[in-house]
Amino acid sequence: MTYVNEFLKKEKPADYYSKLLEELEEKNNKFHAFNVLNKRISDGFPISVKDNICVKGMETTASSKILKGYIPPFSATVIKRLEKDGFSVLGKTNMDEFGFGSFGINCEVPARNPFDETRVAGGSSSGAAVATSIMKYHAAVAESTGGSIAAPASFCGVVGFTPTYGLISRYGLIDYANSLDKIGFMARSSGDIRLLMSKSVGVDPADTTSVDVKLSDVKKEKIVVIDELYDKIDKNIKLSFDSSLSRLSAAGFKVQHVSIPEIDYSVPVYYIISMAEASTNLAKFTGFKYGLKVDDFSKEYNEFFTEAREAFGEEAKRKIILGTFIRGASVRSKYYEKALRIRRIIRDKLSKVLDDSFIISPTMPVLAPKAKEAESFSPIQNYSMDLLTIPPNLCGFPTISLPSDYIDGLPVGLQLTGGQFEDNGLISFGEQWEDSFKYKFKYNIGEL
Amino acid sequence: MKIGLEVHVALPTHSKLFCSCSTADVDEPNTNICPICMGFPGSKPSLNEEAVRIAKTIANALNCKINQSISFVRKVYFYPDLPKSFQITQLQGSIGLEGEVTLSSSKVHIRRIQIEEDPARVIREAKYTLLDFNRSGIPLVEIVTDPDIVSEDQLREFLFVLRSLLYYIGVDIDKEIKADLNISLAENRVEIKNVTGIKNLVDAARYEIKRQSEIIKSGGVPEKETRSYDEKPQSTISSREKESDEEYGYIYEPDLSEFSVSGLTVPEHIVDARKVSRELAEKHNLDYKTLLELIAFDTEAMSLLRYGLEKSGLPADVVVNALEAKKRFGKAVNEKSLPLLADYIQKGIQIDRDVIMRIEKGMPPAEVEVSNEDTDKYIKEELSANPEFIEKYKKNPKVIDFMVNTVSRKHGIPQKKVADRIKHILAEYLK
Repeated sequence: MTYVNEFLKKEKPADYYSKLLEELEEKNNKFHAFNVLNKRISDGFPISVKDNICVKGMETTASSKILKGYIPPFSATVIKRLEKDGFSVLGKTNMDEFGFGSFGINCEVPARNPFDETRVAGGSSSGAAVATSIMKYHAAVAESTGGSIAAPASFCGVVGFTPTYGLISRYGLIDYANSLDKIGFMARSSGDIRLLMSKSVGVDPADTTSVDVKLSDVKKEKIVVIDELYDKIDKNIKLSFDSSLSRLSAAGFKVQHVSIPEIDYSVPVYYIISMAEASTNLAKFTGFKYGLKVDDFSKEYNEFFTEAREAFGEEAKRKIILGTFIRGASVRSKYYEKALRIRRIIRDKLSKVLDDSFIISPTMPVLAPKAKEAESFSPIQNYSMDLLTIPPNLCGFPTISLPSDYIDGLPVGLQLTGGQFEDNGLISFGEQWEDSFKYKFKYNIGEL
Repeated sequence: MKIGLEVHVALPTHSKLFCSCSTADVDEPNTNICPICMGFPGSKPSLNEEAVRIAKTIANALNCKINQSISFVRKVYFYPDLPKSFQITQLQGSIGLEGEVTLSSSKVHIRRIQIEEDPARVIREAKYTLLDFNRSGIPLVEIVTDPDIVSEDQLREFLFVLRSLLYYIGVDIDKEIKADLNISLAENRVEIKNVTGIKNLVDAARYEIKRQSEIIKSGGVPEKETRSYDEKPQSTISSREKESDEEYGYIYEPDLSEFSVSGLTVPEHIVDARKVSRELAEKHNLDYKTLLELIAFDTEAMSLLRYGLEKSGLPADVVVNALEAKKRFGKAVNEKSLPLLADYIQKGIQIDRDVIMRIEKGMPPAEVEVSNEDTDKYIKEELSANPEFIEKYKKNPKVIDFMVNTVSRKHGIPQKKVADRIKHILAEYLK
């Protein structure tokens, strides 16, 4: 079943899109899913686009003040491909500034969780998850560096898909960490993900890291739990995860536990590499060619761009400072180069496990925290919330996050990791999961 | 004394290094630009293979080890001409490593040859600065040498040799060589940034050597610093900037995957003007430097020289004269016109525009009869203008050739006739 095909088959009233926009505008005041709504949408299946992906003529800020007013003169390759196939951009979705965050609170107006407005939506693709959770016929184009698709998808109870690194062109993506960034999707069903993937993958000369491969629909009976990760999960999540495992065993899957001690280095290695790359990506924002413009040209260049860069949020500044430190010649081999080597080791270890199995874990180790609570987390506490999503993201392996339970009315997510290019195998797993598990939604905006 | 260089050569490609913008020289600023070479958010580089192929050719010509799989790095610094605030360049993954250039009496080791993008052009006005991004993203190679150069002469020779090597592999750098000079007379290295042209480079080095040796003579130590060169008073000025590798914060360029260069073909035989000149000079007893000057930067001249010496059967000095004419009159002097031109030369006729026109029409030299009396008069004039000639002749009768040539050329009298008359006159003088 796909919502896309259902939508195409249904008769739509002439004022469908204007009504949709009206209702969205009203709900957006509450949930803050969209940074920009496209008032001109008049046909096609609505897709929202995370605000760090360029859409020609539509303000694109990555939720950063420093990019206020930036209207890209080009569209990302993935957007061009989808638009050609009958999808229409409904708007740009809210996010943690430049993707820096796990809860969607590192921006001017944070998105709120549709299941409980006092709680965070997850991040960094917060708006994408909220939009998917409140709209019936819609899919979200999002992006993940270390878990930015899976985390909010699990908190907002939708399917989140992060493809193998390189499968979808990154041309038009405002970079967080180029060797880790992956454009992916959120939807209300795995079938919709399959459809979106089929229209988006394929080599792009404008992104030299993009690849051209034929995706195989692998079926695996073995699913593996990594002990070191399992031990760090909150109690209530663990209970829910155990019951999901029992359900899978009953359905004929073989569940196995393995120990991979090196996995504990994933979080520090990820943050070292991502901060090093992020600090170079943020260097270009100097306040005079696009986005925020400093008008006082009487200053020396150093003073001039320093003033412009005050517009960065706190987490962005932290990444610039730490990232710049990590790149320093005297410590580069100690941190950056070592991290690159450990990434390779972890990838090799996981690769071996993935030879004949999928890796399974909850998506997040906790339930969606209250916004107030999340704001009080220290940076280290924040970063460690990503411990389950980081390993596959660090290695460029595909993952799918599926709603698997509801605890006190809050969705819980199950994360499956496949080997390189086993994307379709994960989607098939999701379709099978959905045969016996029905997802719940609190809103169905745009219902027909 | 140690001198090392970082030479920047713009590669002759049609499009920029990481985008499809034209590299053509245009007057209107900021017209050959796009989101990629402007560093717009969301844009990404994609590598121009032709630039890599030319860079590989250069690395090959400078006897480098070729890195079969090249990679790029980001060099981060904040300057208005740098649109991304980092330059995409190369380090360990450079196209060429550990090469060398042989000079007449020494060798200059090439540390590495790296491919990188040019920043925008900065135009400084009194109250403001303008930026022209047409230059942003033009492909360059940076040739980094070891500090092997130990004299001004070696520096000049190296630059000349480098330019001619580049020329003969088809990298015709119409723009002048640009380089940073590293000069150290004592322990500390002084870098002189962005000097354009061979003459300026040599002048800058001469000034800097003098400046540093004066400091040392007066008991001081030259400071480690960056300086810039000013042509007008011919001096170097401290730039008051101290940059170290620490501050560049290199990381691998994650948007460009490793690129294999093994499929890129480079010319196998590199024509080396120096080698050709040396061989021909030895074989035909000619002056090496004269030959090199005649054929440097002109492949047609080189093949004409080879043809003239090896196949035409003409005397070597006539061929050299013909090549000199070619330098002035270009294409009109070629294999076909060489025999006729040789007639004029051998008759001692000055080659000028009129003569070239006659040759183009296939007209042989007109027979001009100059009487013995007139010939004698011309010879005597020349002898009195060169009073030391007789003494020289007494020591070495061979110098007569010079006198024959001079008179013959000046007055269009056949050499043989002049020679006969001179011998006659000298015989009388020396009686």
